[in-house]
Amino acid sequence: MITIDMLCYYSKLRYMNAMEKFTYAMLTLLFCVVSRSLVLAILVLIVNGILTVNKGGIPFSRYRHYLTIPLAFLILSTLAVIVNISRTPLDAFAFQIGSYYLTGSYASLYKGIQMILTALASVSCLYFLSFNTPMTDILSVLKKLHCPDLLVELMLLIYRYIFLLLDISFSISVSQDCRLGNRDFRTSMKSFGAMASVLLIRAMAKSGALYDAMEARCYDGRLLVLDEQYSPKSREIFWIAFFEILLLILTIWSKLR
Amino acid sequence: MSKKQRKTVAVCAVLALSLGIMPVANAMHIMEGYLPAGFCVVWGVLCVPFLVAGFFSIRNKLSENRRALTILAMSGAFIFVISSLKIPSVTGSCSHMTGTGLGAILFSPSAVSILGIIVLIFQAILLAHGGLTTLGANTFSMAIAGPFLAFAVYQICQKLKVNRKVSIFLAAALGDIFTYCVTSVQLAMAYPSESGGVAASIVKFLGVFAPTQLPLAVIEGLLTVIIVIGLETYAMPELKSIGFIKEQEVR
Repeated sequence: MITIDMLCYYSKLRYMNAMEKFTYAMLTLLFCVVSRSLVLAILVLIVNGILTVNKGGIPFSRYRHYLTIPLAFLILSTLAVIVNISRTPLDAFAFQIGSYYLTGSYASLYKGIQMILTALASVSCLYFLSFNTPMTDILSVLKKLHCPDLLVELMLLIYRYIFLLLDISFSISVSQDCRLGNRDFRTSMKSFGAMASVLLIRAMAKSGALYDAMEARCYDGRLLVLDEQYSPKSREIFWIAFFEILLLILTIWSKLR
Repeated sequence: MSKKQRKTVAVCAVLALSLGIMPVANAMHIMEGYLPAGFCVVWGVLCVPFLVAGFFSIRNKLSENRRALTILAMSGAFIFVISSLKIPSVTGSCSHMTGTGLGAILFSPSAVSILGIIVLIFQAILLAHGGLTTLGANTFSMAIAGPFLAFAVYQICQKLKVNRKVSIFLAAALGDIFTYCVTSVQLAMAYPSESGGVAASIVKFLGVFAPTQLPLAVIEGLLTVIIVIGLETYAMPELKSIGFIKEQEVR
């Protein structure tokens, strides 16, 4: 149903310690965003690609497809950064429209490329985390980091119920399609609205049933679930530390330059 | 072709291309790594008071009635599912609702701020919409600014005795447009234009995203009205249990 969630259960890195993966992804992300250097971005992009595709065993075609998802946003907003409308032409390119110029400078072109690469590198960090770590493991990390219990419980329940509701909405939309419910704009608006309202009604009914079931199993305000622990390996910690120190040096170097 | 004709064709081609490369308009999530570190922190800090208020309002509600926990969880899952489903669109592009306007009207804007940040985390991790470093900025625009405005508009319209359907439409559509404006301002502040500074940059970002976001806001408004009509027809008890309809209003 949700491809990323399905793939992360197949990942070969799934049984690695979740805290290690979380720390690695977050630190790398931090260095990417703070340094905004081209060298670092390219390095991170390559390393994360190798980790996710070779070590994790995620099919390359999927990985490439997911990297292109944010592209529409990227192209549009970078366009807004690069292109200026002014009375005076800038140095890189200029198209005349009446008395104005559609123009850009080399500095902003460089900035645009920097933005695109940094963004792609950061997305690869996020993908490393989400393609290799099931949501329940991420939640156990959050719990260890002393995120309030209420929030973690809410996230756990929401995560479980996303799939239930998606399943209901999927079967409703299949039967709407069968009955020509989406044949033009008008009917598809009507169908979507009907589906969404039925979804909320079903969700409320399920939530009542869920509470009754929890109460029957002695729910007293705390949800306790067992989570599996995979012990961290010293070799992995060494390589993560090595890579992060390398990124730190690169970051300092790019800031001093 | 004359020079003028050629220019016209070129302009049309550019327009067609720029509309053609927008198959995924992800309701304006700022993507991972797009904002400089300073802005990530500032927007994150700005969200904190709202989130704390939301957290306490949820906790108080839970201490009154523990059953509210599963209802809140279901509402969160509902907002996530609604915002991940493809909605019908005029241009043939694939677009999504924000769902937060509906959430703010049905539940309360302070609860939606907490549910919104959870939904945004899930969207980042499970669907690759938005990101973890830009979580603060996205939360501010989509889970705080949009819902609070939608709720305010709805309340004002109710006070002025505007037709309920019209007020729901206005609330959802204006909430959506406001989200899009706030996102543009956030982007513009991070990347001010070389000629004209932040103000010029705001205009540019608004202009670039307008073709997808304005029709989307109208569609979101219409859909929200249809959903609420459906709920009022079939789900009176549920609407009462979440506090959307007061007892005396029904009669």
